[in-house]
Amino acid sequence: MTSITAYEPGASQLLMGNEAIARGALEAGLGFACAYPGTPSSEIIGSLAEVAREMDIYVEWSVNEKVALEAAAAASFAGVRAIVAMKQNGLNVASDFLMTLNLTGTNAGLVLVLCDDPAALSSTNEQDSRLIAKWADLPLLEPATFQEAKDMTKWAFELSEEIKNVCLIRSVTRVSHARGDVRLGEPMPPSRAARFAPTTLGQFTPMFVPPKHSLLHQKLNKAREIFESSPFNWYTGPEKPELLIVTCGSGWYYSLEAVKTLGLESSVGILKLGTTWPLPEKLVQQHLARTDKVLVVEEVDPFLEGNLKELVGDTFSALGPLTFYGKRSGHLPSFGELDPDRVVGAVSSVLGRERVAVDPDYAKKAQALTGGLVQARMIGFCPGCPHRATLWSVKNALKLDGRGGFVTGDIGCYTMGLGPTGFFQLKTVQAMGSGTGLACGFGKLGKLGFSQPVLAVCGDSTFFHAAIPALINGVYNQSNFTLIILDNSATAMTGFQPHPGTGASALGEPAPKVDLEGLCGSLGVRVEVADPFDLQDTTHKLLDLIQDDGGVRVLISRRKCALVRAREEKAAYKVRVDSEKCLGESCGCARLCTRVFQCPGLVWDSDSQTARIDEVICSGCGVCADICPASAIIREVA
Amino acid sequence: MANDYQGGGREQEMSLEVKGCRELQSEVLARDLCSLCGACVGMCPYLVAYRGRVVALDECNLPQGRCYVFCPRTSLDLDLLSHTVFGVAYAADELGTVQEIAMARARDEGIRSKAQFGGTVTALASFALDQGLIDSAVLTASDENTLPSGTLADNTAQIRACAGSNFVAAPTLAAFNRESGRDVQRIGVVATPCQTLALANMRASPLENRNNVDKLKLVIGLFCTWALRYEDFARFLADKLPLRQIVRFDIPPPPANIFQVFTDSTRIDIPLDQVRPFIRPACDVCIDMTAEFADISVGAAEGVQGWNTLIIRSNAGRELVEAARAKGVIETAPLPEQNLAHLKEASLLKKRRGLKKVIEITGSDQDLLYLKLTSEAVKGFLS
Repeated sequence: MTSITAYEPGASQLLMGNEAIARGALEAGLGFACAYPGTPSSEIIGSLAEVAREMDIYVEWSVNEKVALEAAAAASFAGVRAIVAMKQNGLNVASDFLMTLNLTGTNAGLVLVLCDDPAALSSTNEQDSRLIAKWADLPLLEPATFQEAKDMTKWAFELSEEIKNVCLIRSVTRVSHARGDVRLGEPMPPSRAARFAPTTLGQFTPMFVPPKHSLLHQKLNKAREIFESSPFNWYTGPEKPELLIVTCGSGWYYSLEAVKTLGLESSVGILKLGTTWPLPEKLVQQHLARTDKVLVVEEVDPFLEGNLKELVGDTFSALGPLTFYGKRSGHLPSFGELDPDRVVGAVSSVLGRERVAVDPDYAKKAQALTGGLVQARMIGFCPGCPHRATLWSVKNALKLDGRGGFVTGDIGCYTMGLGPTGFFQLKTVQAMGSGTGLACGFGKLGKLGFSQPVLAVCGDSTFFHAAIPALINGVYNQSNFTLIILDNSATAMTGFQPHPGTGASALGEPAPKVDLEGLCGSLGVRVEVADPFDLQDTTHKLLDLIQDDGGVRVLISRRKCALVRAREEKAAYKVRVDSEKCLGESCGCARLCTRVFQCPGLVWDSDSQTARIDEVICSGCGVCADICPASAIIREVA
Repeated sequence: MANDYQGGGREQEMSLEVKGCRELQSEVLARDLCSLCGACVGMCPYLVAYRGRVVALDECNLPQGRCYVFCPRTSLDLDLLSHTVFGVAYAADELGTVQEIAMARARDEGIRSKAQFGGTVTALASFALDQGLIDSAVLTASDENTLPSGTLADNTAQIRACAGSNFVAAPTLAAFNRESGRDVQRIGVVATPCQTLALANMRASPLENRNNVDKLKLVIGLFCTWALRYEDFARFLADKLPLRQIVRFDIPPPPANIFQVFTDSTRIDIPLDQVRPFIRPACDVCIDMTAEFADISVGAAEGVQGWNTLIIRSNAGRELVEAARAKGVIETAPLPEQNLAHLKEASLLKKRRGLKKVIEITGSDQDLLYLKLTSEAVKGFLS
């Protein structure tokens, strides 16, 4: 990835949406950036971290989203422009602070970028975070193009300073993670006069709430006025369209493509809104007055649709009868992700035209084109992933223990432990750290007849993010569970960002390393450390912890992420299958290695009817050698 | 392929039903019918024995497996087993195939003092090893927490160390499964009745892979009326004394009705009624008290301190006993008539109880769960 400062002002460059957002912030004179990583938002702070030294700005990976927003707000209070980025779930963590920050207001521009993940491609929910704008009375911008992603971000700082409040930008995966041409401006140096100097008593407090609440509404109204003439809203199409599409964000490209595909440029108009809360009411009314059919195209919830209907309700006598199509009418789904085909379907259906669908054989043809080049493989752990090894031992320990013990999980790569490559071990998955919180509750059900052992798992980064309060709660309330910290020394799922346990800062500089054993030990709980690649020892320790009933116990299962290992060190072992020793189907092992253990590095060779190692992807961890009952998998020190 | 059912070629019509691990789990483990003989353990990565339970670590999807065929609680064809082991039809009487019944004891007082009764098992197993009749013995040994498991002994000191019983079910045959594939040629096994049934199943198995059961040269069976579940019982005991202090268990003959736990310095007497709740449910459906498919079977001689009852069943058993007697390793004496009558009565009672329990479970005397018995045999046992 080329640095976002590597391009000349005025040049047109191919940028990822998240890079465009970061570049926009630099062009606005950003001084402070922070985030907790979360797909699809991570590259915003990631690309700023890369240029932090060069631009002499401050960038950090924060311990969680709430702390990130708090830290950024401090910069704003002190007169420094700041940006925070988070995924939709992260907003929930930050919202406690945000719902009062809106009342206190800000000083220098503070932009909060919310990256949503429609269809939950890398999430545990697909919540539409735009609703916070309405809830918190904060202005919301939605970029539809990569150029807008940059330009809107830059302008968002100005808007924030104009109304002295947080400005929200909502992106989605297809904007954040896709790439497009962006015309660049000049990066600006930040203000270097940081100073906290409230000008009025209680400026940065919510006191007194009702007047501050009223002031918040005034700020929002000011934003509405500004939005009426915003260049981020525009209309294309006939004067009096048969059908008006109102859209925002990624829906705009889909709408454009649908209208073009159907050849309806002369009868269907598109009102593209970049400022979706508060709505520029006059502008919207002008367009609604020119049609009697409106289709709303937007990702996830009928947010824009509902707000348009609210507006029509207020001005019904002026606008006359209008029919709305969209998510409420069932023309578009309010779950999953949109695509051009879905919009083609909706437009065709509204206008009673025959639907031009994607070639029904499209998937087959695509598959035929890739041929045998791509191995059919389900989502699962990478070759050599320590989570697979840990969960193998967890599975065996729980089976051996035999009391119906189970694992509560949360968010990270190890969420995939709910599937086959984690042997279906995770039985609950909700929010960051929630496996530990659930374990607290399960562990107190003894009085109510509960007797199953409870294991919570969380990653090292998740532990710092949200599991610590739950662990302390468990200790204080004398709950009964074992917490397994899956310490792979990385925030692996979002791209290997450092965290408080890694000893490195966002800029890759040395940082104090928070000692997991010491931290847990200070709570007075029993702490064990295991190497998950030592299956026998890990199983043994787990059994011992599970059966050491009463109180909270902690197992730190420590092995570096396989992908990080691959970058930093050479493989520990060269692994091969001795085809003489592998008895194949006649072994009686029922293909334990390829059918049950399921490391992608192990493949069943249908020609030789034995297992073999896929040398290209085998990471050389050597764990599979310990599970083969015929000792046919040979690991030699590489 | 090893696990393929070689159905053709067998002359007998009788055969064991061949299914796989899934059925073993649903028909035996899930129904709590497992006697923990260990016959299904040690052959694959799926089934393991852990603290008194057989555990399936993962799902094996093979339709046929040795685990199912060897299990003494699946498709138990007693007539087939009798033909396989003794070459005769199943007797369907109280004690099974019998050549001779006597009392016996070890001549060596050292053995007797450490043994449960007369030390006959320890003496005969050691003798068989000394004589080269076997080169190793699969026995049961307990760890410091009284958890028993199978072990392989290839010298008499090891055999002597295994003397005595703790009345807890042990997956001893896992050791046979593990060791029979290694560099041993003539194996003897000291087995409970369910373990002798499993070994007979191995011999009668229609599968190509029969765990090198051809190396099995001697089975010394032990009388058994029940065995205990380890986990609950160990917890029960641990409340009374540290498990590590226990050196021996005993159940003195009626009417004592107590379970004795010995440490180096003391003895704790536990009423048997407090121990019975820990009996494995699998023992309630058992109809074999005297290990009817062993070469010789050994148990207590009621009312005769320091002696065993010895049943010689096979020619191999007879030869061993005669040689041991001739060399002065054991001595024998006639079993008093009254003892024989008692033994038969107790054995029949066990069969009757087991059958009644089976019929209670299935609700029909036409469905005997795991047993294949003629209706005459059933009638004979129940009348």
